[in-house]
Amino acid sequence: MTYAPITSPRAPSEDAAPLPHTALDAASVRAAYRRWASIYDASFGGVSLWGRRAAAAAVNALPGRRVLEVGVGTGLALPRYAPDKRVVGIDLSPEMLALARDRVAEDGLVNIEALLEMDAEATSFADGSFDVAVAMFVASVVPQPRRLLSEMQRVVRPGGHILFVNHFAAERGPRWWIERALAPASRKLGWHPDFRFEALLPPEALARAQRRAIPPFGLFTLIDLPV
Amino acid sequence: MPDEDAAAPPPPIDPRLLEVLVCPLTKTTLIYDRAAGELISRAAGLAYPIRDGIPIMLADEARRLETP
Repeated sequence: MTYAPITSPRAPSEDAAPLPHTALDAASVRAAYRRWASIYDASFGGVSLWGRRAAAAAVNALPGRRVLEVGVGTGLALPRYAPDKRVVGIDLSPEMLALARDRVAEDGLVNIEALLEMDAEATSFADGSFDVAVAMFVASVVPQPRRLLSEMQRVVRPGGHILFVNHFAAERGPRWWIERALAPASRKLGWHPDFRFEALLPPEALARAQRRAIPPFGLFTLIDLPV
Repeated sequence: MPDEDAAAPPPPIDPRLLEVLVCPLTKTTLIYDRAAGELISRAAGLAYPIRDGIPIMLADEARRLETP
C-alpha cells in the first residue's frame, strides 16, 4: 500500500490489540486507491521523492540481493534499485500495481522479479525469503502497524534488514506545533501527523533501530531495523 | 501498452518466486498451473488467480476448488 486518503475503518491504530481483518477493510482500501491511482504520481509522488530516493539508496548499500518492497504502489522507487538487486513488489491495489507493471515494462527494469497483490499484514512468502524488506510511506496507513512489522520480520532472514521511510510525528520543536495545528485538515488528505515511532516499533526494536532524518526538511525519517 | 494477443500463453512466473511463495492462509507450498493461470493451495482448497501477470494472493479473490 502506498500513501493515500484512507477512510474509516482503515485508520491506523496505535492499539496493539488484534482487530478483525475483514473483507470490507480490504474493499474500502482498494476503493480508495482506485480513485487515487491516476493522480497519485503527480500529487504525493513529488513530495515523497526524497524519501523514496533515500530508501532505495539505503537498500542498495545493504548486502544481499533479495529485496521485498511492501506497498510498491505505482512503482515510483523501482527504477532506483541497483541492477544487482532482485526486487519483489507487493500492494493491495490492483490499479496501482497495473501502473507499476507498465512502468517496469516501459523502463525495461529486468531486476524487478515480480509484482503481486497481497495484504502487507498477511503476505504469501515463506519465512526468511528476503535479505531486505522496505516499506515507504506505508506504516502509517495500514490498520495495524505492529502487525506489518511482525510480518516483515518473519519474511526477512536473520541478519537481514527492515527499512521504513515515513512521516512520523515530530517529538518537539516548531514542527510539532505546526503539525498539531494542521492535524484536522491533514487527516482529510490522508496525512497522519500524529503517527509516532512507538505505534510501529515496540521499545526493544526502537532501541535497536537507526533513525535518520531525510533532507531537505527532515519531514520524513528513514528507519533501519536489523533483524 | 498495446493489447496483448488473447491467444498468447501467459508469461511464466519466475521459478525463484515460486520457491518463496506460500498460501497466505496455510503458509503451505503452492502448485503453479500455468495453463489455467492459477496458483493452487491444496491445503486451503483455493486457487489464486494470476491476472495480467500479477498473482492475486488474497483468499477473497481465490476460486474454491471442487472437493475430489
